[in-house]
Amino acid sequence: MLSWSGQTSGAPVDLTSIVTGEGTGGVPFGAELLAFTDAIADWDDEELAEARERLRSTAGESFMVDAAAVAANFEMMTRVADGTGARFDDKTREARAGLTRTLHVDHWESAR
Amino acid sequence: MEVRADLVEAHRASIHHVGSPGACLTATQRIRLSEIARDAYVEAEPSPPWVRRYPAAAENLAYRLARHAGTFSVDLYDRAIAEGMSALVWVEVVGVVIATVPVVAFARAVGSDLAPFPVADGRSTTGRVAPDLVDATLNWVPVAAPADRTAAVVQALSALPDEWDNLWRLAAAQYMSDRQMNDPAWTRGTLSRPQMELVAGRISKLRECFY
Repeated sequence: MLSWSGQTSGAPVDLTSIVTGEGTGGVPFGAELLAFTDAIADWDDEELAEARERLRSTAGESFMVDAAAVAANFEMMTRVADGTGARFDDKTREARAGLTRTLHVDHWESAR
Repeated sequence: MEVRADLVEAHRASIHHVGSPGACLTATQRIRLSEIARDAYVEAEPSPPWVRRYPAAAENLAYRLARHAGTFSVDLYDRAIAEGMSALVWVEVVGVVIATVPVVAFARAVGSDLAPFPVADGRSTTGRVAPDLVDATLNWVPVAAPADRTAAVVQALSALPDEWDNLWRLAAAQYMSDRQMNDPAWTRGTLSRPQMELVAGRISKLRECFY
């Protein structure tokens, strides 16, 4: 889902932060967003509560709620893609070859 | 904590959808799969992906997709079909899991309680399937004709219109609608588009979703 989501904004995000989970991604509240996102994807409720509170206290409750909604959406879309064997057409695959290398994703099971 | 009304409604509708008869599965079967997906998503010590912990193939599929989606491959799909699962049942299980997981994920993320699951609504199925099903090259699963004219994720659940409708209703409330997506300046007034993409990209990376 990495490239599909990125196509929608036209605005660059630092891909290094997406790969490593470090830094800010070049956006305000980026570090808090990454910590919240990582905690959602992990299964440590304590870590999640801390990250939630950190994001809420710095960016506001509505911001935290909408960040959770986006994360939930991509918990959904990744399963749609993986569960139905979603693939790119040849043109898109060629166009995203550089992105695939940058993100180190071509070895994943879901790429097969 | 205040949650947008459209998001509350989309999640309520999704759980109601799970508890309604599906194209191939009864409401009882769908709720069972949804409960498996819910528990799999939050389980502290999950089974490894290759373990078949349930008696029914559809139940194992629901568990694995909810917790180990990144391990899916065409071999897994081909094996399930060879062992007797219909392709449309596969699609419906995916539809039930993706109707469940974001609701659970959101509730856990914001620290709220999950609404109770509905009581099953009868033993019937709807049989509602797209009128013309075809094989696709961009997905393993059959899709509504014509195939491969849209992105793979867009056509993914098109074989079963009710699952497709629920998916895009959720996406519009959680993320953005098609129309909003085409406007690069659109936001909800909270996260900017790059902030949304940071979250989307990081979740996709952590879930090892190649697409």
